[in-house]
Amino acid sequence: MRRLALAALTLLALVPCAPLRAADEAADASRLFQQDIKPLLNEFCSACHNPDKKKGHLNLEDYTKEPPRIEDREMWEQTRDMLQSREMPPEGKPQPTEETRQKLIDYIDSRLASFRCDDKVLPGRVTLRRLNRAEYNNTIRDLTGVDFQPAADFPADEVGYGFDNIGDVLSLSPILMEKYLAAAEEIASRAIDVNYPPSPKRRRIEAERMKRFGDDSIRPEGNLLGMYREGGGKAEFVIEKKDDYRISVRAAGDQAGPEPPKLGLQIDGKGVKTFVVENHRDKPRAFSVVIPLEPGNHELSIAYLNNYVVQNHPDPRMRGDRNLFADYVDVIGPLNLAPPPPSASHALIIPHQPKRGEERKAAHEILRRFASRAYRRPATDAEVAALVRFADLVRSEGGNFNEGIQLAVQAALTSPHFLFRWELDPTPAGKDEIRNLSGHQIASRLSYFLWSSMPDEELTRLAGEGRLTDKNVVAAQVSRMLKAPKAAAFVENFAGQWLQIRNLAEMTPDPQSFPEFDDELRAAMKRETELFFEAVMREDRSVLELLDSNFTFLNERLARHYGIDGIKGEKFQRVSLKPEHNRGGVLTHASVLTITSHPTRTSPVVRGKWIMEQILGAPPPIPPPGVPLLEEQKAVDATASLRTRLEQHRANPDCAVCHNKLDPLGFALENYDGIGAWRDLDGRFPIDSAGVLPTGEKFSGTVDLKNILKHREDFTRSLAKKMLTYALGRGLEYYDKCAVDDACKLLKSQDYKFTALVAGIVTSDPFLRQMRQRETE
Amino acid sequence: MSSNPLPRRSFLKGIGTAMALPMLDAMIPGRALGAAKAAAKPPVRAAFIFVPNGVHLDEWTPGSTGVNFDLPRILEPLAPVKNDLLVLSGLTHDKGRANDDGPGDHARSAGVFLTGAQPLKSEGSEIRAGVSIDQLMARQVGGDTRFASLELAAEGGRSSGKCDSGYSCAYSNNISWRDSSTPLPAEVDPRLVFERLFGNQVSKEMSESQTRRLNHRKSILDFVLDDAKRLSGRVGHDDKQKLDEYLTAVRDIEQRIERAENGTDAKKVSSRLRPAGTPSDYGEHIRLLGDMIALAFQTDTTRIATFMMARAGSNKNYPDVGVREGHHELSHHQSNPEKLDKISRINRFHVDQLSYLLQKLKSIREGGSSLLENSMIVYGSAISDGNKHNNENLPILVAGQGGGSILTGRHLRVPNETPMNNLFLSMIERMGGQAERFGDSTGKLRGLRG
Repeated sequence: MRRLALAALTLLALVPCAPLRAADEAADASRLFQQDIKPLLNEFCSACHNPDKKKGHLNLEDYTKEPPRIEDREMWEQTRDMLQSREMPPEGKPQPTEETRQKLIDYIDSRLASFRCDDKVLPGRVTLRRLNRAEYNNTIRDLTGVDFQPAADFPADEVGYGFDNIGDVLSLSPILMEKYLAAAEEIASRAIDVNYPPSPKRRRIEAERMKRFGDDSIRPEGNLLGMYREGGGKAEFVIEKKDDYRISVRAAGDQAGPEPPKLGLQIDGKGVKTFVVENHRDKPRAFSVVIPLEPGNHELSIAYLNNYVVQNHPDPRMRGDRNLFADYVDVIGPLNLAPPPPSASHALIIPHQPKRGEERKAAHEILRRFASRAYRRPATDAEVAALVRFADLVRSEGGNFNEGIQLAVQAALTSPHFLFRWELDPTPAGKDEIRNLSGHQIASRLSYFLWSSMPDEELTRLAGEGRLTDKNVVAAQVSRMLKAPKAAAFVENFAGQWLQIRNLAEMTPDPQSFPEFDDELRAAMKRETELFFEAVMREDRSVLELLDSNFTFLNERLARHYGIDGIKGEKFQRVSLKPEHNRGGVLTHASVLTITSHPTRTSPVVRGKWIMEQILGAPPPIPPPGVPLLEEQKAVDATASLRTRLEQHRANPDCAVCHNKLDPLGFALENYDGIGAWRDLDGRFPIDSAGVLPTGEKFSGTVDLKNILKHREDFTRSLAKKMLTYALGRGLEYYDKCAVDDACKLLKSQDYKFTALVAGIVTSDPFLRQMRQRETE
Repeated sequence: MSSNPLPRRSFLKGIGTAMALPMLDAMIPGRALGAAKAAAKPPVRAAFIFVPNGVHLDEWTPGSTGVNFDLPRILEPLAPVKNDLLVLSGLTHDKGRANDDGPGDHARSAGVFLTGAQPLKSEGSEIRAGVSIDQLMARQVGGDTRFASLELAAEGGRSSGKCDSGYSCAYSNNISWRDSSTPLPAEVDPRLVFERLFGNQVSKEMSESQTRRLNHRKSILDFVLDDAKRLSGRVGHDDKQKLDEYLTAVRDIEQRIERAENGTDAKKVSSRLRPAGTPSDYGEHIRLLGDMIALAFQTDTTRIATFMMARAGSNKNYPDVGVREGHHELSHHQSNPEKLDKISRINRFHVDQLSYLLQKLKSIREGGSSLLENSMIVYGSAISDGNKHNNENLPILVAGQGGGSILTGRHLRVPNETPMNNLFLSMIERMGGQAERFGDSTGKLRGLRG
């Protein structure tokens, strides 16, 4: 059978987990079902949900042979919800009495409740997740210290269940693999300075440019200084630090007479050394000496000391012209002082440059540390050895130590151990169906949940000490983690997707309808919601304030858009809201109001749907097949107001099933136009933002609606479910109801404080435990 | 939980023993270039272009069939290439219909467009459609070029929220499916497309440092394959599928390098042709991506391309042609003439960009023919009318003669309910591949030769 709409998952029962005596209950249920319930289902439901019509893909005969079974809970939950919300039976069909309706609801409730949370509850299993773009960027930042958004060019991550961190959906295409390889190379080359430590500074003095002294015949000879008789050249140089320096003179000579040319080196007028230049003019070489120098200006001179010209010597071997040539003088140093510190990223990976002869040992240490961080668990000896082989390879090719580490880092960043978040079972042969995650696996779950990044030192330490298997320790980490700057990732990635404000980037309000809209306003809208969510999170406020609060964050531009005076400048500031401002809570944020509008106008339907899905966690049901096409309906009066037109639409009972739910919610926000500015008129029609929910609650506008919504358990429950989905990286299953129940209970008992919700999630079974994998098929 | 394990590719057996020189960005074209020249007959290329939300059919479909067909308002911009067109009426994507899956026609329309397979309704627990025709072609004949295929889109995927009624955004954002569970993301930025195709060209005589770099990459690929192989013994079914994707991706790169190794020098492409980035003007963006297809075909860097002008269900507006409302919003037109007019304007805008690409292909000569003559450019939508969301009588056209095997300059009406996949079956044969059947095909499409 094809699955029922996944929408049903979000309808996870609203019933308490009351313990029941299973055997008695089953017997009672069976009798009750055959005698009382089945006839009612036949009377009110089977006219449509029969084997022939199968409206909504539902053939009740498949489910009513015996009392409702726990395996079919999705379908029964949906049935119950349809009855309660009066969606079913649809208008125009025979309706049960109130009493009958309630009887059916109570019966289904009692059956659903026979699923007991105090029994062994399955924790589910998360499919292997690869790092998504945000996680890749942040992990690289924390792992290597280079922060340049390497994933910006990666293909967009696919979205499932409303989030882009769902293991089942995240795929790895060849083009992404290509980008991983290129990114690893780029990251390694940015992180590690292959030329560190730098060689000592070299000050080069070209000999031919030196100030000449002595015999007039001394002159530049090409790029050399030609010294044909006694004399030479001098020049000044500057020393910054007291230390030893190497003076290196490159010179050559025309050889003649009994001895080679001699070159005298003086610093500040004092002789330092005399070099005997035995090499021929064609083969210049360097002559060097190390001396201590004080900071300040110095004068250096080179001089030819022993000229010789004899053309008529009786011994032909003694005839000739001796000359000296100098190319340049280098002053190199300081030689002993420590080099400047390396870049932070270099030091993070290579904290100390190894001494000569200790490179291999150092490579092991460095790569063990790096791989353990990159793989988010202690690296094995074999893994370290495999990485050290890259360092060896580079060394064997003549590369230096740092280049070797660089290549090994590149390899580690390409490994599946880095790119995926593995939760391998250390004892796959274990007998229990359920296992506890290891400390390091929990550390990663926490850090990717709240930071979208790898665990930090504290989490890693706690994991190493085996303390993260203690729920109290896990819960205690939540406050610390939510206060850390890295928790900004939670705002951006969780709130950005839950509230869908990421979609602002692609909204295109029509310039004629909304001339004041531009990119500055677009950015300000997003910022307001982010800052607001962040404040609720960091100040540990009640999550109910997300729907209804008396403060927000505005800059001048957005305040003007809202008609609020007295806010100046581009910078956002916290603003206390008064009733006449008509703002407070995300429903009144321009961001949310814009993403739920069409380019030229508001859409009460889209807004209603957004509230149903994102706030109440109850996506509108699937329209029954066979709804007549709009064009086949009786003509809708195009000159009427939007509200009137939608009401005409809802006159059709088939449409009304959904739109009775959606439209009133959306109409409550009609005082906000398509980009969230306040208005009293829509065109020439006055705004009527009053309405009635299918549950009977009346409201006269946004303020009433907010009050109704925030007092509904549906809101906190929906928020808990979204957050659990995001935390786990998988869609929720029926057994996750227990984790959601517990988180809601904890939240309520702690005045709806934000950290209570997060703590409830991170201490839940699905977060801390895992079903053992079945054998590979 | 996913149920049926997918048959995995047999290449996995060979992994690790046949690692070739990894030259990811060393762009040496395949031997095919030389081979094609020698054979004197240029290869046949195929491109598939997707537009969302259906069209205003009355202003798309020519009034008459056969050779003396007219170009209605939407097709008018194609006048310069009218004789290179085969307008097809009557094709159907049955697997784009709900078939008991309820709403979600937009997501389905992209998922079915090149696969002809019913996309599995899922928000993410399991993504499944079928292999797409471009990828089947790539698998069979893509080995002759440096890139087996190219996937482009002029509108990025939605980054949050849901795309369409219980379907993961993976369906709405992609038309190329490597296999039934792996959609292939498309590149949006023309500059990145260029760099991928032509960047960092390396000549046959590589410098010592380049050789060393390539050898290092080879070592890294060996290393990660070892890692992956060791892991594969320790994971369950669902994780294995993810690991297989990884192995497939590495293998894909490896194959490309093998091809490069056997090839000759890259055709140098002037860096002046490198786009600066993604233009803010949408038309310009589409045309630039079209340029990239033309360039890739011209240099025989690939022979197969897919291109989404916008993602399924796109609600973009088109102020340049006087349409301020969102496309999707408008497509539910309720037969309102004003809305229909606007839809026509959007449709015509897209066709205008198509015309640019076709004219460009036509202007490129190869041997005694034009590049367009050696191509088959399929253009259209897998939804017929945006209001009805119906999937029969789809607006489809094929441009180019497929190397002389398609008689163009006609409007052909095929019997109602003829599967779109019949067209694909006929096309893969023209590419030098073969398939007995493809998805819901019932046979080859009759009448392509006239």
